[in-house]
Amino acid sequence: MGRTEDLITRLASEGAARQGTATPHFALPLLLATILCIGATALVLEDAFPTYHLRGWMPMVVKWGFSVSLLLLAALALHVLGRPGRPSGWAVASLLLPFAYAAFFVLPALLFGDLPFPGEQWERCLIAMGIMSPIGFGSAVMATRWLAPTDTSRAGLAAGFFGGAMAMTAYAPFCPGEGGLYFVSFYLVPILTMAGIGWLLGPRLLRW
Amino acid sequence: MNGPAKTAPTVTSGDRLDLLMAAARAGDAAAYRDFLGEASQRLRATLARKIGADAELEDLVQEALIACHEKRHTLDPGRPVAPWLNAIARYKLIDHWRKRGRSPIVLAEADGEIAADEFAGLDITALLGRLPHAQAEAIRLTHIEGLTNAEASERVGIGLSAMKLRVHRGMLRLKEIVDG
Repeated sequence: MGRTEDLITRLASEGAARQGTATPHFALPLLLATILCIGATALVLEDAFPTYHLRGWMPMVVKWGFSVSLLLLAALALHVLGRPGRPSGWAVASLLLPFAYAAFFVLPALLFGDLPFPGEQWERCLIAMGIMSPIGFGSAVMATRWLAPTDTSRAGLAAGFFGGAMAMTAYAPFCPGEGGLYFVSFYLVPILTMAGIGWLLGPRLLRW
Repeated sequence: MNGPAKTAPTVTSGDRLDLLMAAARAGDAAAYRDFLGEASQRLRATLARKIGADAELEDLVQEALIACHEKRHTLDPGRPVAPWLNAIARYKLIDHWRKRGRSPIVLAEADGEIAADEFAGLDITALLGRLPHAQAEAIRLTHIEGLTNAEASERVGIGLSAMKLRVHRGMLRLKEIVDG
């Protein structure tokens, strides 16, 4: 037990003072990645809100309502999952709320919609999701590594949701695509894919 | 190192760990040392129930203790320490098993291989007397009385994994004794 006593002495000499506040360390990578992606998208693409003159704000209310709420809830889930011993089931379950919100709009559109699919610029949507989702995911992993997630699969899942939601939030204002099938194919599926990858990679990337 | 003393946050529980951590965060360096000492004892007790009392236990206790220290900023002021400490201990234990690549099944198979013919014709009772009590008891229950690991762990009052580990280590030790 002598080695443990030595270790205690060494650790005690560093003091109990916390190494800064957890929230800024955690929030900074998430904020930076989000600003970077939104800024870069705005610089590269033109014609924001292309369907506004035809259909008003409703498509954006649906898209941003889903993506921004998923973004915030995923960040909250990561923040809770990164604190050992805290009940986290509610935070993970709350990630279903944006999907319920989206289903409220998307299901009727899927059943009764007659919008053309996939439209003209679906490739651009997939490319944007494919480039920005991993950036968002990476920032979420970086932020969460500063904490101490004990369920690394769940934390990876939440990080994947964050990445996908961030990509959608950045790209959606420039997306002319509409309709339920479009929403499912080019937003929901990429986001769920990123979340699945996060679930699988979480135990490797978030180990501490 | 600790900066000026601050006012300790209100601690409502009577848990010594909570009180020590609150005092330590308020700048009491001695309280932090006591906190680490108390935490190490609790970690040792928790982890011993899972892996038994052997050489690896102390390594694991130290690993968990370092994790607690490095991740102390994830313990919010005013929140009880015990659930936080237990969650870290559990995580480190799983990580430890994963790192060593020792699943309980592998241990069981390894014991079977050793047990098959190594000790035939020997005075097992005398050999068991040369093992630590916990390991000897584990082998007696599983290899002489014929209990399963699960039944033996229930009878002794430890976790299944801890029982498997005790049997495994005991068998290895027996083999060393026999091989001379």
